[in-house]
Amino acid sequence: MTADDTPSTTAAEEALPMTDTITLAPPTAPGRPGLRRTVPSLPGLTGIEIRKSLSTRSGKALAVATVLLAPVATAVVAAASTEPLTAVDGPIAIMGLLTGYLLVSLGVLSTAGEWSHRTVQTTYLLVPHRGRVLAAKAVAVALMGALLGLVSTALTSGVLALMESGVSWDGAPRAIGAAVLAGAAFAVIGAGVGAALANSAAALTGLYLVLLGVMPIVSTFEPEVANAIDPANAVINLGQGAEQAQSAVNLGVWLVVASVAGWIVTHRRAVQ
Amino acid sequence: MITVSGLTKRYGDRTVVDDVSFALEPGTVTGFLGPNGAGKTTTMRMMTGLVPVSSGTATVGGRRYGDLPNPGAVVGTLLDASAVHPGRTGRMHLQLLASVIGVPDSRVDEVLSVVGLADAARRRVGGYSLGMRQRLGIAGALLADPPVLVFDEPANGLDPEGIRWMRDLLRGHAARGGTVLLSSHLLGEVEHTVDRLLVIGGGRIVADGSVASLLGAEGTSVRADDAAALARALEAAGFHVQHEADGALVVPGAEPPAVGAVAASAGIALSDLRPVQRGLEDLFFQLTTAS
Repeated sequence: MTADDTPSTTAAEEALPMTDTITLAPPTAPGRPGLRRTVPSLPGLTGIEIRKSLSTRSGKALAVATVLLAPVATAVVAAASTEPLTAVDGPIAIMGLLTGYLLVSLGVLSTAGEWSHRTVQTTYLLVPHRGRVLAAKAVAVALMGALLGLVSTALTSGVLALMESGVSWDGAPRAIGAAVLAGAAFAVIGAGVGAALANSAAALTGLYLVLLGVMPIVSTFEPEVANAIDPANAVINLGQGAEQAQSAVNLGVWLVVASVAGWIVTHRRAVQ
Repeated sequence: MITVSGLTKRYGDRTVVDDVSFALEPGTVTGFLGPNGAGKTTTMRMMTGLVPVSSGTATVGGRRYGDLPNPGAVVGTLLDASAVHPGRTGRMHLQLLASVIGVPDSRVDEVLSVVGLADAARRRVGGYSLGMRQRLGIAGALLADPPVLVFDEPANGLDPEGIRWMRDLLRGHAARGGTVLLSSHLLGEVEHTVDRLLVIGGGRIVADGSVASLLGAEGTSVRADDAAALARALEAAGFHVQHEADGALVVPGAEPPAVGAVAASAGIALSDLRPVQRGLEDLFFQLTTAS
């Protein structure tokens, strides 16, 4: 944030009658004095994108669901399970992955949701540099994904601490790190695919079909291939300290491909 | 203030906007008039960078829209009033716009009052009528009190009172030195608002001039009991006379006082005397078939 992010309010604060009579200050080219001269900085735009995501009921509900799903699921599984748990890193990573799957929606709604509701129109009228908007959205959903992932994982860990005794917590920090990373990465992947398809329903259906339909089949028949291409395997492996390099490349490729596709389509697409 | 030069949009071999050029000066309201599908919206979207141009340029104060450092502070745009997230309140929608443009939240409440939405501001936009969304869109365009207003079909969904309110708003804006472009497919919505008409048909500008010059009196329609005598008198005075099927005489290019004077000097009593005005449909038909 810079000093000129806080515009002077002298002209805008002139009293206006609550009637049909319009008595605004005279317009002057190119814009009135006191207004900010440029569009917001990247951090400023990122903050606005976070507010956008959380300004609707669906956005708020998604954030709450993201935080609560994993700890609730953990409690249910821990209560139902008869076999004793040996270590927490596996469950924490798996629950982080579950949260990540939900955060895909947060990313998709941030980009494709704007096309579906046609709010891209005002977004790009006010900030014509679409790459700037897209970068702000990527940072915004990454921050939200990481934070929501962290809170969710903290609650999951609390549930495990309460319900499981005599388990190893050795790998917990690494698993929590993987869960937070999964939250950020899945949200950004969602935003990239959302931007590329520019349609919420298509992006959500397509992504979940691949992540929850195609990838498990690949895992069943070709586990080695799945390790290389399924981001779920990457998250679980990272959480358990296995296949670190391959998992990082796996997630990295997903992030780059989704972001580049979103970037290209966003720049070429006409706002009708 | 706004200069559009050779703006063209092609989709494949279909040209929807064809070499459109015009300049808009501060202090004027210009009506962008044409039937649906004539290219009005596409032209406005190219001017504001939403649709890539095939060729040509559009500048605001000498800069392309996309090069304006803070476009929302210079151009207030209303294109598609339904392009608002239905889950946000009207106030939240405007607050988000205000934070991008850089105007304080207090300004949001001001424009909500200006457009008459203060009471509905905390309701979700999904429950708004078309007219209320239109007003919300106008409120968004007014946030920065920008020198230029570009409104696409702003009268859609507004009741007659709302249309009059908008006319006062736009006239007031121009009177304070602002530049206004508003589009419509209905002449009646804009003819008392605009100084100048840009008529577009089939993607091309087919007429550009004042309302009076484009749609002014084209002639005079006159009736008399002795129509034959009147026709002889008018022809003797050098006028061309057309006989209508219903018995009226039409004198193209003549003002009613001139026709009345001829009748009076010939001692012929008139039963009807009125100017003939061309409708917009006639104008379109004439302009687009001639080009």
